[in-house]
Amino acid sequence: MRHDTTAKASRLRAAAFAAAFAVSLAGAAPASAQDYPSETLDWTIAFGPGGGNDIMARTIIDILERYDLYPSDIRAENRAGGSGAVGWGHLYAKAGSAYDISTTSGSFVTTPLQADTPWQPADFTPVALLATDDLALVVNGSSEFETIDDLIAAAKERPITIAGTGTVNVDFIVPTLFAEAAGFEFDYVSFNSMADQTTALLSNAVDVMTGNPGEILGMIESGDLRALVYSGVKVPSELEGVPTMADLGYDIGVSMPRGLILAPDAPQEAQEFWIETMKKVVETPEWQAYINTNQLTENIKYGEDFRVFLVNTQNRFESVLREVGAIQ
Amino acid sequence: MDIFADLVMGLSLAITPINLLYLLVGAMVGMIVGVIPGFGPSAGLAILLPVTFGMDPIGAIMMLAAIYYGAMYGGTITSILLNTPGESATVASTFDGFPLAKNGRAGPALVMQAVASFVGGTVGVVLITILAPMFSQVSRSFGPPEYFLLASMGMLTLIVMIGANWKLGCLSALVGFALGTVGVDLETGQGRYTFGSAELIGGIYFIPVAIGLFGLGELFYAFYIGLHRQGAGSIVQFQKEKRFWPDRMDWISTRWTMVRGSILGFVVGVIPGAGATIASLMAYSLERSVSKTPEKFGQGEMAGLVAPETANNAASSGAMIPLLTLGIPGSASTAVLLAAFLLWGLRPGPLFMAQNPELAWGLIASMYLGNMALLAISIFAIPLFVLLLKVPYRLLAPAIVVICALGTFSVHASFIETWLMFAAGIVGFFMRLYGFSPAALVLALVLGPLAEEALRQTMTISRGSFMIFVDRPASLWILALTVVLLGLVPLFQKLSRAAGAAAKAGG
Repeated sequence: MRHDTTAKASRLRAAAFAAAFAVSLAGAAPASAQDYPSETLDWTIAFGPGGGNDIMARTIIDILERYDLYPSDIRAENRAGGSGAVGWGHLYAKAGSAYDISTTSGSFVTTPLQADTPWQPADFTPVALLATDDLALVVNGSSEFETIDDLIAAAKERPITIAGTGTVNVDFIVPTLFAEAAGFEFDYVSFNSMADQTTALLSNAVDVMTGNPGEILGMIESGDLRALVYSGVKVPSELEGVPTMADLGYDIGVSMPRGLILAPDAPQEAQEFWIETMKKVVETPEWQAYINTNQLTENIKYGEDFRVFLVNTQNRFESVLREVGAIQ
Repeated sequence: MDIFADLVMGLSLAITPINLLYLLVGAMVGMIVGVIPGFGPSAGLAILLPVTFGMDPIGAIMMLAAIYYGAMYGGTITSILLNTPGESATVASTFDGFPLAKNGRAGPALVMQAVASFVGGTVGVVLITILAPMFSQVSRSFGPPEYFLLASMGMLTLIVMIGANWKLGCLSALVGFALGTVGVDLETGQGRYTFGSAELIGGIYFIPVAIGLFGLGELFYAFYIGLHRQGAGSIVQFQKEKRFWPDRMDWISTRWTMVRGSILGFVVGVIPGAGATIASLMAYSLERSVSKTPEKFGQGEMAGLVAPETANNAASSGAMIPLLTLGIPGSASTAVLLAAFLLWGLRPGPLFMAQNPELAWGLIASMYLGNMALLAISIFAIPLFVLLLKVPYRLLAPAIVVICALGTFSVHASFIETWLMFAAGIVGFFMRLYGFSPAALVLALVLGPLAEEALRQTMTISRGSFMIFVDRPASLWILALTVVLLGLVPLFQKLSRAAGAAAKAGG
């Protein structure tokens, strides 16, 4: 690990050049048909810096720039707050624009259920669902909870606190469904970003946090944080030995859709350009590396298929949230 | 000593010609993005990030980091000359920086801010070098209760800002708090005072408000008093520029200010999320409360400029600690640096420094060199900035309007925010005319939402009990410190003043 930093980088670069060459050959023909991408792209990241959505957006932007897939400039802005309502509200206000784009995550589906947002997921121009990801319940390395059984047993005695990003978010739904199945109660503490909630957990202000393990692998590796249970079907290699919720008999089957959307009523040529572009992006070694590092499940649906997926997922979430009484 | 071996290794990596060039480029870009109001270091970093992909990671990270701390040097220049903070961490620098310029001491103020920035930045790096592991403990002891107390301490600055007319000052702060409640509520996700507007659900961002209230408000006021009709005038009734270099009094009176500001700034910077803005505000209030002449603050007291300047630079160094030792970004700018690490396939976290010593120590070593370069650049650039003061006001004013509008627009590319900035300018003019406090309004707008969110998180965690503030060691420490600042310091001042008066009466 110690000496391979530069070697790894140069390997990556070599791979990048090779792939860029291949991509530019493949992509030469359709690009000249329209004059669509000719302006600066405004990329809304609806969460704070350092979170899962942020890393995904910056990874895609990096790939786009590395392979020259977007000919003009890309400006990425973190428009965080209100469980994503701020960022996607900004995008919604840009209806008709061909140059406003955003990455989605679970809140894209849940926030409109809870808040009176002017927009619904189906309002936006769908580009592609790229992957889904799952959450881990994580405790401080010094926590008394060594295993998930310790946690469940203790939580049955006294209510515990679980931190997550935003309220009525997949960060809230996953522990809610899990707690319901396992028979314990908890108080949910809402934070603005993964960085904020991680700080709170490290300071022992909260008992548990829920989060995408890809963002905190460094701290899990060092033993500063400990993952107790994983919500996905298969545990990532870095979390070897951690049980899944299904292993415990509490299969909750909810995961976070990660995709790409344009502003509502974006021109068709823009939607087509981005579908074609994303088909190239998902073939790059960098995207595969991203999927592996972040332990995502690749799940690709383009255009209208993505819109259908969003509507179905939202209905699923809505029935769950109604059941637990989080929304009326 | 291991530390020295590591540092020498880092220096040997940093000092190659190409890496020095990257460092200089980063420092210059940082200065420039800092000078433009609204256009902060995170925007500058995000724009230059793609450029670094073809580069060696060590050179790239040196360059990106230099942009980040370089912006702290540049941000103060407009605070002093135009009463318009370049970014949030330099709001406090307007309090005494602009009055100093009005008193004809723009040159010394600019030199002192460069020196203060250098001292703060360098003390910060020295502390990182020797105490990084220890301070990573500090970053780990802050949760919502501590953030609430910190924001409250920042609000103590309000007492200073409210000024002579306390009724108008309180009213200004209340308006700021009220504006701070606009937007989607973090806990419930419900909109507050958004009236269905998608632009308002993000709340009222403080940058357009600050640029409007300070920059344009000052400008309208200058027109009101007829400054544009004065031929060879300058920004506001500047007395003839006396001298460029600070005098002996400036150095002597701010020695300890620099020490206090550096240490306070660094410690606050280490706390993820608190950052340079709160650090600079706290340093300003601290300095005023220990000063022998607190009544001179706001009138152009050098210590009132030096304190926030050392603190915001020390804080930007301190913010490297949670990034390097935990992988937690403490601010928007360090988050871009974190994203860069991830894009290079590195895994930030507690083992990062041990696994990547070249990168970590190369970066730390480059920060020593970067701060020196920035000091040199600043000193050379100051005469150019001072020339601005010789431009007749009627020519300078339109340029200020354009810079304010462009700077505001560059933040979120929002026309609504740009109009908000102009509206704030008109409000700022009347506030100035009738003796309200624009500074109190902006502070309340920045700190109100922060305090509210942290308090509500705290109350959820403690199930409504305030005992949590004394149960947690870190929050108990902050409480104790607040009591000292609030109670003991004024008491000492009273005693020493009484003693001084007695001595005078006796002698």
